[in-house]
Amino acid sequence: MLRTAIQSRAWLKGTAWRRWWRPAYLVLVPLSLVGLLPFIWMIFGAFKTGAEIRQIPPTFFPHHFTLDNFKHVLTDPDLPLLLFYRNSFIIAAANVVQVLFTSSLLGYVFAKFEFRGRQLLFWFLMALMMIPSQLTMIPGYLMLAKLGLLNNLLGLILPAAIDPFGVFFFRQFIYSIPNELLDAARVDGASEFQIYFRIVLPQLGPALATFGLLTFMFNWNAYLWPLIVLTEQKVRTLPIILTWYSTRMGNKYHLTMAAAVLVVMPVLLVFMFVQRWIVKGITLTGLKT
Amino acid sequence: MGGFWRRWLGRAFRGVQGHRKRFVALVLTPFVLYMAFWTLFPLAWGFALAFFDYSARRAGGPFLGLGGNNPFVGLAHFRAMLDFSPRAPLEVRTFHIALKVTLLFVALVVPMNLAITLPLAVLIESVHRRIRPIFRTVFFLPVLAPSVGVAIMWGYIYHPQRGLLNALLGKLLGHMVAINWLGDPRLQVLGVPVALFAIVIAYLWQDMGYNLVIFIAALQAIPEAIKDAARIDGASGVQMFFRITLPLLMPTILLTMVLTTISAFQVFDLVQVMTDGGPKYQTQVLLLHIYNYAFRFQKMGWAAAVSLVMFLIVLSISLLQSRFLRVRWEF
Repeated sequence: MLRTAIQSRAWLKGTAWRRWWRPAYLVLVPLSLVGLLPFIWMIFGAFKTGAEIRQIPPTFFPHHFTLDNFKHVLTDPDLPLLLFYRNSFIIAAANVVQVLFTSSLLGYVFAKFEFRGRQLLFWFLMALMMIPSQLTMIPGYLMLAKLGLLNNLLGLILPAAIDPFGVFFFRQFIYSIPNELLDAARVDGASEFQIYFRIVLPQLGPALATFGLLTFMFNWNAYLWPLIVLTEQKVRTLPIILTWYSTRMGNKYHLTMAAAVLVVMPVLLVFMFVQRWIVKGITLTGLKT
Repeated sequence: MGGFWRRWLGRAFRGVQGHRKRFVALVLTPFVLYMAFWTLFPLAWGFALAFFDYSARRAGGPFLGLGGNNPFVGLAHFRAMLDFSPRAPLEVRTFHIALKVTLLFVALVVPMNLAITLPLAVLIESVHRRIRPIFRTVFFLPVLAPSVGVAIMWGYIYHPQRGLLNALLGKLLGHMVAINWLGDPRLQVLGVPVALFAIVIAYLWQDMGYNLVIFIAALQAIPEAIKDAARIDGASGVQMFFRITLPLLMPTILLTMVLTTISAFQVFDLVQVMTDGGPKYQTQVLLLHIYNYAFRFQKMGWAAAVSLVMFLIVLSISLLQSRFLRVRWEF
């Protein structure tokens, strides 16, 4: 009560801004406007009419605000966006589930069990972390072709079940779970799998959220590997369909931008709300696409 | 089958200790088999491909299609890479261009990235605690967006007639500007093709957020006591930055430098969507070269050889990375 009274008095006297004001704003505010400009340009473009898009020089604000572009994109029979949303979601969600499962289970084994060859196996795993994806890209494609998994969503799921980064990440977390807790469960007669599911996994909440979101984001935004594996229209993911549509539309930027808004913005909003976890994941692992 | 396994494992690992060993064996056996099938096998295959004139279109020998119509050529691909004469085959000449373009790209991206993100992180940290997340979100947003969307947005900005950039320049100069930023091979500044530079800008815009959040986290990890001590000694803001912040951030700077270098080496999405390597190979980066030769021109042997060379380059950087990573955990 008292604090708010003091604060509002400070506002009235016009002294509060001094506590908040920093010279840094002189740089930060213009810079963030520039940083947002590409998004704004895309969104404005999506609301312009075809005639306005063709104007030279181009307008910045849409003069005739229209929703026709979105209607056009959403009703285009060659562009069933919901199908591509579904494909992207299946791949990303399946990868999150399997990567979280294998990473936490292997992380648990590497962190809490003594066995012969542990160091060797772990270093082998770490060495795999350094192998860039382009080295296995060509044989990976040939393998999927031999297994008949090209143009199949499974082709993007089956080879991706284990993420060495994830194992490393979860091992670090599981170290901090006290052994006494695990031993107590063992004395109570729990099996090792029960201990993993009932004791270890519930302790990993934040780590699961962090790594799960990173995995989801990387899979959702992935381009090169899906481009190689998915060449038939009906199995494609959102990023590939966006480039396909943009090439087909050529200079009709109002339609391309409407499609881009529909592909980029919804998930961007979701990611924005959970960015705290994503940021944590990046700063903890230094992981990059 | 399951019964057999249970009996065998039961006999192999008895008692409490056996209980645990059985669990480890149950987890690790599928893991090792999986890695052997999906990682080691393709690695070996990819390595072998580099020594064959292989195309997936030709039915070759009985083993993985190697041999027969896909003959073994030994080190021919690697020897060809060292042929710098103008009469060298097209794939060799474009490989040289791709290597040069990639090195140029990395040389532009890494210093520019660090020169922007580090001061930006310091600036963001200097404002009020409640305002910080707003700025961080603004600069981090492009990281969350799919790179394809980023490429399409920037392609629209750079468009010669419809783009924002030319429109702004036109306003500024008072006359029409129709520069073809991404498509004119004659545009060069100090030997750097303007198209490549345009991609560098888009790449920086997208990639900055990574290093920014890493730097912000590192800045927050600097103990307040050190900063207070400096302040009591009468250090100015600039002195604080160069004498306190910068030395303490050195491990982080090295780390981000290596991470940025590695990921810049593997740039693909933006280039493929914005220019597809053009104009006149001026933006053809290594990964695009590999992709084109493997999946468009069906010269997988050559592409595998190039990826092997690229791997050696990236590996040497990765080894540096692991050395710097150790420094990173210190504070």
